[in-house]
Amino acid sequence: MSIVELENVNFQYKGSKDGSLNNINLNIEKGQTVLLCGASGSGKTSIIRLINGLIPHYYSGELEGDIRVAGHDVKKTELHELAGTVGTVFQNPRSQFFSVDTDGEIAFGPENIGLEPKEIKARLNDVVAEMNLDELLGRSIFDLSGGQKQRIACASVAALLPDIILLDEPSSNLDFDSIELLRGTILEWKRQGKTIIISEHRLWYLKDAVDRVIYMENGVMAKEWTGEEFTALSEEEVKSYKLRPIVLEEELIRDIRGESTSSFCDVENNIELNDFFFSYKRRPYLLFKKKFKESDGDLLNLNIPSLKIPKGKVIGLVGPNGTGKSTFLRCLCGLEGDCKGKLVFDGKTYKGRQILKICYLVMQDVNHQLFTDSVKSEVMLSMKDEDEKRCDEILESLGLLEYKDTHPMALSGGQKQRVAIASAIASGAEILLFDEPTSGLDYSHMEKVGDLLNELASAGASVIVSTHDPELISECCDYVLGIKHGKAVYLKENKKL
Amino acid sequence: MRLDPRTKLFMVFVVSLIVMMSATTPFLWAIRLSITLIPIILMILEKKYSSALKFLLAYASALVLTFYFLSEQSEGLIASLLIGYCGIVVQFMPAIITAWYVVRTTKIGEFMSCMQKMHVPDGIAVSLAVVMRFFPTIKEEYSSINDAMRMRGVMLGGGNVLRMFEFRMIPLLFSCVNIGEELSAAAITRGLGGETKRSSIIELKLGLADYLLMAFLTASTVIFVVYKYFL
Amino acid sequence: MENKSKKLKAKDFITVGIFAAILFAVEFAFGMLGYIHPYIVASYVIILPLASGIPMMLFYTKVEKFGMITILSILLAIIMFIGGMGYLGAPLIVGAGVIADLIAKSGQYKSFKKIVISFGIFNLWICANYFPILVTAESYRQDLIDGGFSAEYANNLFAAINVKTIGILVVLCFVFGCIGAVIGKAVVKKHFEKAGIV
Repeated sequence: MSIVELENVNFQYKGSKDGSLNNINLNIEKGQTVLLCGASGSGKTSIIRLINGLIPHYYSGELEGDIRVAGHDVKKTELHELAGTVGTVFQNPRSQFFSVDTDGEIAFGPENIGLEPKEIKARLNDVVAEMNLDELLGRSIFDLSGGQKQRIACASVAALLPDIILLDEPSSNLDFDSIELLRGTILEWKRQGKTIIISEHRLWYLKDAVDRVIYMENGVMAKEWTGEEFTALSEEEVKSYKLRPIVLEEELIRDIRGESTSSFCDVENNIELNDFFFSYKRRPYLLFKKKFKESDGDLLNLNIPSLKIPKGKVIGLVGPNGTGKSTFLRCLCGLEGDCKGKLVFDGKTYKGRQILKICYLVMQDVNHQLFTDSVKSEVMLSMKDEDEKRCDEILESLGLLEYKDTHPMALSGGQKQRVAIASAIASGAEILLFDEPTSGLDYSHMEKVGDLLNELASAGASVIVSTHDPELISECCDYVLGIKHGKAVYLKENKKL
Repeated sequence: MRLDPRTKLFMVFVVSLIVMMSATTPFLWAIRLSITLIPIILMILEKKYSSALKFLLAYASALVLTFYFLSEQSEGLIASLLIGYCGIVVQFMPAIITAWYVVRTTKIGEFMSCMQKMHVPDGIAVSLAVVMRFFPTIKEEYSSINDAMRMRGVMLGGGNVLRMFEFRMIPLLFSCVNIGEELSAAAITRGLGGETKRSSIIELKLGLADYLLMAFLTASTVIFVVYKYFL
Repeated sequence: MENKSKKLKAKDFITVGIFAAILFAVEFAFGMLGYIHPYIVASYVIILPLASGIPMMLFYTKVEKFGMITILSILLAIIMFIGGMGYLGAPLIVGAGVIADLIAKSGQYKSFKKIVISFGIFNLWICANYFPILVTAESYRQDLIDGGFSAEYANNLFAAINVKTIGILVVLCFVFGCIGAVIGKAVVKKHFEKAGIV
């Protein structure tokens, strides 16, 4: 019996062509696990939103056709009535919490539908036991890593005991190990007989876990495979659909997890880093600035006495979350004032605030980095002397010239990223740092970022990019730098594709 | 020790009330001080040592400054700045300490359950809970924006006060609006806003500590008012 | 399909909560300036409406039903009360909120003229915080001095805010509220409408 039925569904968002759907007919049997894949804007998320009712009740647009989910006519059903039937895990772990504490968050859903406190407690205990969440109980959401937040999000959905669970790009902000845990959760739900629908770009972790794979293209269901057929697809076929790989190389996985056994390779033309020490746990005293030292050992979140990294190359920065990648980038670009690291570049030594002049960090959430009301003024803002010709050149080289007068916030995620890069170039920075630029991107956008990083390096910039995407590393990194427990553990050359 | 959120709200109420009425005699000061010390002691009991210490130091130093170095006749720029600083601290710190303590130690779930017990409409309870939930978010977003501004060297908005304000405000609003959209979507798909009455996993119960504290707070207020206005 | 019903939904309450938090953050940042000099306390009527104009105009674009502005003012009153800013002012803050809500409603929350006036009225909550200074002037002055403020500060405060000036302050508050609304609207146009968010 079909638990989800979409019949002749057409949909278009108000004021946007992106993510519109065209004549969708989809039946999903109870207990099936379905993967929706395809480029961004192809309509994956829209299908998820049709099933959980956010379309049409929350996101407005033109909708035609019939949507029936577990006997409910979604168009005529209020969102909260679907709460015990359909559960959704969203992409961004930062924004999907209502509570501040983990226990409260898991209990939030059951409280909303008015269950007895006893029942809620029983469910809380069950979910915690099933998903091994003991260590996360009683904590503040704001102290959790992205992976931990996503596990709590899964638990808070599971506590409502929905028959249908939807996941909208759930792995976007997770590292390798957290993704493995997510896979475990999905398999457990599958075992319990839940109907699961996942929209996703990262595919490797869903191998052998899904029954059906639907490939979306421009709002149409363009192709469908069974789970076995999908796993059997060759590397070339996967690529021809512009999908991310289904199978990862063992060596890359080791690299990504910071577990490669390599040591440090020699680099001649280099940038030298000295005395990069930093700790979040213990700030230097307020009145007498005490320096962090190597001997502070385990207290340090970053502990790099000296390191030589290649100049004018693309370096992939890898390692599990929470072991110092972001800290390394923040210290390297001079954002952490308490880190007294010195940087030797072209024979000159830079320290403290001076570093800000030659380093530029493109943040993971680029929205924080854009201030003005047009792409052009955004780039000009970075220039010491405003030079319109140079600005146009930069925009041209990044393919942004046609958006010169557009508001940066009106652009797509990838375009915003390029605006941030444009202002980095305009500022004259020679070391460009990127914090997970490809999380949540589809294959072709990731490929574009890879190409761009390569171009930046061949134009002379030194690029350091932190990432969890093995695909990006094989795409564009000349070197891989592993960070673990705040220490640099290896630097090895990487064979690019 | 877990206090009932109702006790905490009562404490906020009492402290705000007493803060409004300045202490004029040493006896009244003693009451005011003891009421200020309560949240600090509670913070220590909750193992929030560093915050307790910070509040205590700030409050004590402002008190000492006010009573030993500044007087009714103080004039001049530095004195007036100091008076300003001490003024805020002495006047409002008790309320701020209490509010901080309550916000930091009350879970959203407890708060919602408490609002329900007090028959506050669900809508207002939800709004207030979001306010509590959102302060740390604003702080997080704001510090990211500040980082970005530092990196781009626009901390001072190129010497333009308006741009200084604009560059902070605009990205903050964009972020908050986005987070808000996603937050409501996630909350509604988990059943918020249904007709069924919300329940709560937290069963509130007033314990001995709650009664003692409330009695003490009530007594202090009554004595304060009587001494100040009727004697 | 927008929700056409008149009743407020969970989403609306969340929106109100978010903007209350933002508004309070702005007030707090500027409010702290007031202790440098009492004249700054008086100039809140100018600073705060201008500063809060941007977030508030963004908020108004999200308002479609009666009650949201009222609830915002209730939250504001509660926060001000908790912050020790006065229980006398609280009912006035809510009163200003209800009137502002009614005015905006009379323009279906779309008419910009009505929104400007509505925001001007809404800003009277700032004056509500001066209320204790007026009503209990003499004892409040003594309170301030005994409470650690210098006589100079207290005298300046009462020179700036008293029964005679309050009328001017209320008018200023309203006028700058309207100006804040116009500027805020311009910024919302410049950024949020251009970006297609609202």
